[in-house]
Amino acid sequence: MTIRKFPLWSVLAVVLVVALVVGSGVLRSAPPSASQRALAIESVVRCPSCEDLSVATSSAPTALTVRSTVRQLIAEGRTDQQVKDYLVARYGPAIVLEPPASGWSLLVWLLPLLGGLVATAAVAGVLVRRRHAVDAGPAGGDGTEPLDGAALEERRRFLRLSLADADAEYLAGDLSDKDYLALRHRDMLRLAALELRTAEVNGADAVSPTRDVIVADPLVGAGGSAPGGRSGATADRAPAGPAGQEVAPASKRGRRSRRSRWYLGGAVAAFGAALVVGVSLFATNRLPGQTPTGSVSLTQDQLVAQSLTRAAALENQGQAGQAAQLYQSVLDGHPSNEVALAQLGWLEYQTGRSGGSASLIGDARAKLNQAVRLDPGDPAARLYLGTVLWQRDGNAVAAAEQYRRFLADGPPPAIVDQAAPLVRQVYQAVGLPVPPQVAGS
Amino acid sequence: MGPEGGAPARHTARWVGIAVLAVAAGLVAVLATRPPAAVSEVQSPLVGKPAPSVAGTTVTGAHYSLDPAPGRYTVVNFFASWCEPCQTEGPDLVRFQFEHQSAGDASMVSVIFDDTVGAARDYQAQLGATWPTLADPGGRLALSFGVRAPPSTFVIAPDGRVVAYIVAPVSASDLDKIIADARATNP
Amino acid sequence: MNGTFGHTGVLLGFAAAVAGVAVIAVGLARGRASTLRSGRLYAPLVLVGGVVALVAMEHALVIHDFSLAYVADNNSRATPLLYSFTGLWSALAGSILLWGVVLGGYATAMVWRFRRRSADELVAWATLVVYVVAAFFFGLMLGPADPFRHVAGAVPTVGLGPNTLLQNNPLVLIHPPMLYLGVVGFTLPFAFAVASLITGRLDDDWQGETRRWTLFAWAFLTMGILLGAWWSYQVLGWGGFWGWDPVENAALLPWLVGTAYLHSVMVQQRRGLLRIWNLSLVVAAFSLTILGTFLTRSGVIQSVHSFSNSTIGPLLLGFFGLVLVTGVGLIAWRGDRLRSPGGIDSPVSREGAFLANNLLFVAFACVVLLGTVFPLLYEALGGGQVAVGAPYFNRFFVPVGLGLLFLMAVAPALPWRKTSVETMRGRLAAPAAAGVAVVAVCVLAGVHGIEPLLAFGLGAFAAGSAVRALVLSVRGAWRGARSSGTAPVRSVLAGWRGLVGRANGGMVVHVGVVVIAVGLAAATSFLHRGELHLARGKSGTFAGHTVTFVGTRNVVSPSHSALEAVLRVDGGGVFRPALSTFGAGSTPVGTPAIDSGWRDDVYLTITSIPDTGGVWTFGVVEQPLVMWLWIGAGLVAAGSVLSAIPGRRRRPTDPVSAPSAGADRPAVPRGGGGAAGGDTVPGHRRESGADPVPVGAGDPP
Repeated sequence: MTIRKFPLWSVLAVVLVVALVVGSGVLRSAPPSASQRALAIESVVRCPSCEDLSVATSSAPTALTVRSTVRQLIAEGRTDQQVKDYLVARYGPAIVLEPPASGWSLLVWLLPLLGGLVATAAVAGVLVRRRHAVDAGPAGGDGTEPLDGAALEERRRFLRLSLADADAEYLAGDLSDKDYLALRHRDMLRLAALELRTAEVNGADAVSPTRDVIVADPLVGAGGSAPGGRSGATADRAPAGPAGQEVAPASKRGRRSRRSRWYLGGAVAAFGAALVVGVSLFATNRLPGQTPTGSVSLTQDQLVAQSLTRAAALENQGQAGQAAQLYQSVLDGHPSNEVALAQLGWLEYQTGRSGGSASLIGDARAKLNQAVRLDPGDPAARLYLGTVLWQRDGNAVAAAEQYRRFLADGPPPAIVDQAAPLVRQVYQAVGLPVPPQVAGS
Repeated sequence: MGPEGGAPARHTARWVGIAVLAVAAGLVAVLATRPPAAVSEVQSPLVGKPAPSVAGTTVTGAHYSLDPAPGRYTVVNFFASWCEPCQTEGPDLVRFQFEHQSAGDASMVSVIFDDTVGAARDYQAQLGATWPTLADPGGRLALSFGVRAPPSTFVIAPDGRVVAYIVAPVSASDLDKIIADARATNP
Repeated sequence: MNGTFGHTGVLLGFAAAVAGVAVIAVGLARGRASTLRSGRLYAPLVLVGGVVALVAMEHALVIHDFSLAYVADNNSRATPLLYSFTGLWSALAGSILLWGVVLGGYATAMVWRFRRRSADELVAWATLVVYVVAAFFFGLMLGPADPFRHVAGAVPTVGLGPNTLLQNNPLVLIHPPMLYLGVVGFTLPFAFAVASLITGRLDDDWQGETRRWTLFAWAFLTMGILLGAWWSYQVLGWGGFWGWDPVENAALLPWLVGTAYLHSVMVQQRRGLLRIWNLSLVVAAFSLTILGTFLTRSGVIQSVHSFSNSTIGPLLLGFFGLVLVTGVGLIAWRGDRLRSPGGIDSPVSREGAFLANNLLFVAFACVVLLGTVFPLLYEALGGGQVAVGAPYFNRFFVPVGLGLLFLMAVAPALPWRKTSVETMRGRLAAPAAAGVAVVAVCVLAGVHGIEPLLAFGLGAFAAGSAVRALVLSVRGAWRGARSSGTAPVRSVLAGWRGLVGRANGGMVVHVGVVVIAVGLAAATSFLHRGELHLARGKSGTFAGHTVTFVGTRNVVSPSHSALEAVLRVDGGGVFRPALSTFGAGSTPVGTPAIDSGWRDDVYLTITSIPDTGGVWTFGVVEQPLVMWLWIGAGLVAAGSVLSAIPGRRRRPTDPVSAPSAGADRPAVPRGGGGAAGGDTVPGHRRESGADPVPVGAGDPP
């Protein structure tokens, strides 16, 4: 708009500086006149017979006397300080309404300045430390503090709200594409890390905090189809699950990985959706801050992007059914939307697995295949398809190929980290060298 | 619930809380030991220093000037006819003047503070004050003594130094005591 | 007779409060719901006790029952009915009685609001705290501040009458009660803070409730303070409205902290952050009300407002210590475990702006507190006497005020979490241009001085920002209605919805604050003060105004006699500054007369009346834009009322699939809303259940 062409901010800055310089009277600086000096002194000298008024504001007879004395002393050629000293010698130091900046009363001047500095430093320190902590460890802590299930649950809740918040802000046009993606990416990472932590805690003391029902089934099944299993301390420490669960030792591990995989899926979904939203919005000429809703009619692309973001958010919050409905509604209008295809396929696959519905899984497989066909470069679809091939068919070779394509498409590191154990497993199963991205610990 | 579980890694709230309580304890201690403002004595920087000159026109039109005389203390009293505490101390001042008049070891002089000459003259006459009462046009004398409110009483030693300042109704015995003390420390 | 009734009422209130404490304590110890439920019944009894005492006291004042020492000291036969009535709060004991009644009212409103949840541990603890506070204040009335004490010896036939300054202007009828409604109102947030610290529940329950009650108290306190400024201007005769007097500071301190809380609680509600900080602010606000009462009522600090000295100082100080130890101790004990997870993403965000706002408000509160008690500290340190007055406070107030204006300009346009330069550039363009334009026009018009110019410029910037947010939300509401098929006329009316609710009402308050700030800057920077020496029939000019001394007249009423000077300003209206004497032998007080105008006010007082000759001296103060202060006060009041009206629960642009009320939190990100609309979302997001009760309405429908 005109804002871009017209250098508004530069003009404003210049006008402001010029106006303030002219208005502040720096240009015509003259020594203060006698009456200006008198007024300045009078406004800091207390009216002797009043409590809190200066002689400048009071019309008490004592104030009149002090005023005329001040003017007389100035006319005699005394300095401001000499005038004040003259009055202090008669009335005592309390005649001046400002404490002197010396001795103990220097405190009254220094304390606010020191306090202000300390407070600013403390706030800045908190901001900086928080940011470092965020980068270093999970969920905003420093990564070492002992956390119990409830604390983890609280952090999880916070992160989910943060994610929803970012969605809302973004849709309202408040967040820029870049910031939105960065925030989302970071929160997803933290959430994923937190899930691992939760799994550890649960494994350690077998406390399962109450949480939202996660409808979907695991990415990696109960371990039966993943013979290698996941190595590591968490698996070793896992005790037997509560009695009454079908596959006692493995189900614990399964639930653990199930959750982290679930978030992995969510992260991929959100990433994809955000990408689409970002691109489609970037392509339109919406002004910053302009709302894309209200009476502004949305373009089809925008509507689709909005639905996808919402669906992703729903998915994150465990509302798989609603998410699936939204994806379906997108597909009704746009049968070849690859993001919706991939995500819906994934949801269907999970539901199919948990319900043992082969037809649903078949449906899912078809959707994932179609998504891969439509957009060969979509990492999410590749990841999902590979996982289906591995878990469902035990087809490590085909799965490895999909994972290779997934890695080749340059997915965000957060997702790679999460997918790493699975990818390693598959690569090891086919005897391929593990790619460096996932070689990690 | 959150609070029951795991110990926190940082104790910011605890330390800040303790610091706040410590500061507040100091504040409360100071506040608890302060006397009421009305009781606390107003200090005058003039005490111990040479008194400003006391000179001017009396309500009767005569000229007055305070000249030091050996052995004679002077009580300078700032008053107003509308001031209730002044009415309280008035009879005591009359008695003080009566007691010391013959001995000549102390004298009185009054200065009008924020009042009309007419009202002040009537007031002094009604009280029976026979000592000089200075009109203080423009409040110059009050300013040179740093007077804030009536009644304010200064006691000036024979050598011209201010030995006491009282911002409250004084009694004859107060004044006698002040003068006796001053004589004892500085014969 | 009145004394007996009064004592009965006070005793009833005290007994009810103590019984309430005991019953709830037993209920909590035994964990018995029925006992907890019965604990709520004592709040109305406290109120009834207070009201009985209040009625007894008012009756005594109105019939001039001088057998009560309080009436004899603060009333006379000649006192008009209005000022007899207001005599209740013209001295210490009566003020404590008013405090007790208001607290009883708040307690009753609270138990009524939570009548269905009275067995809840958190509500029980909060009620317990309120009862403890009530027991303290009614206890004061039983002992050292007994308003119904009988006079010693024979009943006097004449009373002393109220302080002359308190029978000079009808504003005393509303200003002190407003102030008390505000100050006492901070008890409830404190009670909830303590309760949630004890129970460890920092969830929606307490933040929603605490914000509601704080907003309520804050609005009354704001009005009380502004009315107090107006009263000073109308009565005190020096042409100012704020003198940084200890009593004014005592009311300002909880206001500053309360304002900080009202902003930072939004960060908690929206982002779940700053929990402990918010608790600390609530505790601080209440502690400061008690400390302020101590400072102004115990007589340790001399003040033009300290109408009485008393013996309740040590008790108030002890109570202040108790409150502080309880509040801060609980925070120190539990705070670290209740800390919120996560942090602020970026300093340049709405959260960051609120944090900066809190820093400024709290830092300034510390300065005001330090300045107020510093003379005492200095004396205790052996330094002698020192005065800390307006010049000291102004030196800090000006930069803090300018900083707050800047934040008010930027913050409403800032999104939560993070922002980009482009976003802010687009949003702030119009407000910033308005600000710069105002500075430029002012300079061209000859306004000089860096502080007023910055105040005007930042004021326009901030007002532009607030108006922009309001326009967006009104337009959003209007378009929302139109797009949902409402008739055109009705959808225009629906735009009204864009002005209500917390966020939008808050923006109206912001506009009011800006208007006040501009008025303040103009009035204090460009004031002319002087004297006119006029003989009867003569005219003089001052700061562009012609003042004519027309004549004098004597006004005598049973309660007072006044000598009025009749002055004509600019050949128009007639104004009558006066010297009034209330009762024989008392010092005459000057009553100013004010020619108020849109452009400036001319403030006239009688400075001296000649002994002989006919030349009178009048004090004249000419100040521009004083009217803006009172207009701004009206806007602040209107904004507070608008914030109390509930905003929409759902936006029309919400998808149909969004779960409605009852869900813990809507799962779907709200699609609707512009910049301002974004603000209205969080308020609803985390409020559990359907709870549309606004601030100000104590009862749910």
